[in-house]
Amino acid sequence: MNLSKVAAVIGVGQTDYVGDYARVRNGEKPHNSDGYAVQAFNNALADAGISRDDIDGLIVGPTVAYERIGELLGINPTWGGQRDAMLAVIEACMAIHCGLAKTVACIYGNDQRSAAVQYGGPQAMGGDLFLSYVYHSPWGYTSQGALYAMMFRRFMETTGITERELGEVAVAQRLHGSLTPHAIMRQPITIEDYMASRYICEPLHLFDYCLINDGGVAFIISEADLAKKISKKPPVLIHGVGRYDLNRGATSLEPRLLDFYRPAQEKCAAQVYDMAGIGPEDMSAVQVYDSFSCHVPFALEGYGYCRSGDVGRFMREEGISLNGRLPVNTAGGHLSETYMQGWAHQVEAVRQVRGECDAHQVKDCRFVHYNSDVAGKAVSVIYGK
Amino acid sequence: MSRSRAVISIYDQPMWKSIDARKWQLQQCKSCGAFRYPPGPICDKCLSMDYTWKDLSGRGKVLSWVVFHRKYLPDYEPPYNAVAVQLAEGPIVISNLVGKEPEGGWIGRDVEICYEPDAEGHPIPRVKLAA
Repeated sequence: MNLSKVAAVIGVGQTDYVGDYARVRNGEKPHNSDGYAVQAFNNALADAGISRDDIDGLIVGPTVAYERIGELLGINPTWGGQRDAMLAVIEACMAIHCGLAKTVACIYGNDQRSAAVQYGGPQAMGGDLFLSYVYHSPWGYTSQGALYAMMFRRFMETTGITERELGEVAVAQRLHGSLTPHAIMRQPITIEDYMASRYICEPLHLFDYCLINDGGVAFIISEADLAKKISKKPPVLIHGVGRYDLNRGATSLEPRLLDFYRPAQEKCAAQVYDMAGIGPEDMSAVQVYDSFSCHVPFALEGYGYCRSGDVGRFMREEGISLNGRLPVNTAGGHLSETYMQGWAHQVEAVRQVRGECDAHQVKDCRFVHYNSDVAGKAVSVIYGK
Repeated sequence: MSRSRAVISIYDQPMWKSIDARKWQLQQCKSCGAFRYPPGPICDKCLSMDYTWKDLSGRGKVLSWVVFHRKYLPDYEPPYNAVAVQLAEGPIVISNLVGKEPEGGWIGRDVEICYEPDAEGHPIPRVKLAA
């Protein structure tokens, strides 16, 4: 299977994160998940410069129903389904490669803040899919943050990375948020602010946790040659994809605590780099799924951006901000921009390659690597010109 | 079996019964001898579905630990700890360290299982530093 340059992103769209955050905090309910999803779709359609009738594939995120979104948008596709952000990109490429669709809309909406979705406690979201999210609650061990706190504590012991060095993630991403008009958190913070912030699940601080906000994201992926003909803007090619899942021992946290998901990242890296024909040294920026800050150091080591055991020094000395050697989560990520469960990271990657990012633009941006390791499922996508 | 919050599949029921008797048991594969956690219908090492319930030795080592500073559950008032312990039998379990706290690092310390009443008075396995 080779999906390199089979398809390209021709349109991206999102909702008004900042305005909706303020409206929800003010007690209003601008939309439900469906409403955010369809609004983002309209924006993606306008960005691509195509019409609804050009869409023949529809993939929706896990927070909305496939049929209902198709119904609301009047789309009867030849291929469709429900996927998370990264697998939506890969499935769109697969469907296009197989000739099952030519232009696929990937759509996500989430009213998690206004609906008061809980990610810890008795009704922890995701417990039906990931047993580790709920299994240990008789011992008071709940929340996804606690799973990452446990993992990061052992990583500190193993590599010597400090809390202060981890703080580089929150500080860099907040700097990026401050340069991004649509980011929710725009007030810069310092390492001292980070160290002074309260613990939620020690060793993780408040600033290590993602936002919870309402919003929607959509992107449109088209067959590469067709993309050139129909897209208003230069298409952004998908140069490679990769995946490797660790399921064994997941509930007892073995892949987290014994391996820090490294085997999954290494296998996923080999696949995506081979498919794209480029490596970590070729990336202009990296977007990392960051429900918690510590995803970033795990990913930078796992995908070969620095030597194993060296990521604390790498982040502190070489830098992961727009002013450093390797800009990571250039719009602020889940910590500062918006928590769209990986969907907004794809939009940011596309805009960076297009060169549309103004104050938070990476200079001479050629390739952007997106990766995620949610619950040990490592997925990668490389975007480029 | 009225433990609030515990995920109790039909494979978990014998385990919680053993915990109620203050003698925590896990399944051991009859074919390859591997212990597994959480309880389940099959051995992930050799795919045998034959097993016996075995008493744990009660010994283990701390792999990692956290301290909760936010309240998520009505009967766990922060701050409180949670530890990941690799049992002598192999599986990793989550529990809480009670009694004396280790001086210096927690990771790698030998611990042993003890039983304490939970909020409803049922015994729940926790760990303390090994003597």
